[in-house]
Amino acid sequence: MSEKISLKDLEKSVYKISVQDGIIDIQIGAFLLMFAVAPLLSATLGDFWSSVIFLPFWAILFLGLRVVKKRFIQPRIGSIEYGSFRKKRLVRLNLVMLVFNLLALILGFLSFIQFSDLPGWMVTARFSIIMLVGFSLVGYMLEFSRMYIYGIMASSAILIGEYLYQNFQISHHGFPVVFGVMSVALIITGVTIMVRIIIKNPLPGEEQPE
Amino acid sequence: MSDENAIPETVSPLADINQIIHAPARLKILALLYVVTSLDYVFLKNQTELSWGNLATHLKKLEDAGYIRIQKGYQGKKPQSIIQLTAQGRQAFQEYKQALQQVLDDLPD
Repeated sequence: MSEKISLKDLEKSVYKISVQDGIIDIQIGAFLLMFAVAPLLSATLGDFWSSVIFLPFWAILFLGLRVVKKRFIQPRIGSIEYGSFRKKRLVRLNLVMLVFNLLALILGFLSFIQFSDLPGWMVTARFSIIMLVGFSLVGYMLEFSRMYIYGIMASSAILIGEYLYQNFQISHHGFPVVFGVMSVALIITGVTIMVRIIIKNPLPGEEQPE
Repeated sequence: MSDENAIPETVSPLADINQIIHAPARLKILALLYVVTSLDYVFLKNQTELSWGNLATHLKKLEDAGYIRIQKGYQGKKPQSIIQLTAQGRQAFQEYKQALQQVLDDLPD
């Protein structure tokens, strides 16, 4: 029995080494940047284009991160292809997130058409819960504990933003401030993890067998 | 000479344990390969903390036994060898696990 548990733990630790390289943190930080910047652009670009404009930005960033992973991280920590257990788990995560995003979209749409009838805090609370549940689901399925903290941070950010808007008239429900701070915090966390990996793991020397 | 009078080659139940796998370094290598589809030299070296020379020696033994497959290639200009467990290696590891469990279970308290 203990043998079974130790192999399970080994698989988990091997998986964690391969994903805890800071890239996910930077990607989420870049994603949340949209919530900070899009409201500021919406006056000039409109709601739709102020969000869509982020797509090429994410594409370039994600491509850049792939290059960083391939050129700087993988030569230092090595690379693995997951076993069938982990692959199935990641497929399940994609399916769960697909269903979750559809539900969130429906809820968002309902909030939009009921906007004038709902009290402001109701829309904020919905959005806050969606963020918390979304991050927690990803954290659970990816076995990535930092994701729970990010979930709490994101859901609190929405509530804090609303508080700032109500009490200090901070524009756009405080989103540029709270999501700006959170986004920068996540990107700094990711970059710090990445730099630490690069410093701690020097490139293998010439003695590496071919 | 009857079978009863035959001198057993060994009385140790550990004799049935697969000695190729039983070496700590090779056991570590096979356990790592057992939980993934494949991995490369660098990952294996970092996890086993073996020197390149030792790692190559153990991998050669496992490859000769037919337990692993090494695909040599390049990532950019740098060599990158991908290592994976063969079906024979997977079966041998499972049998080793069972045999070891059996030996440990049979030990008196």
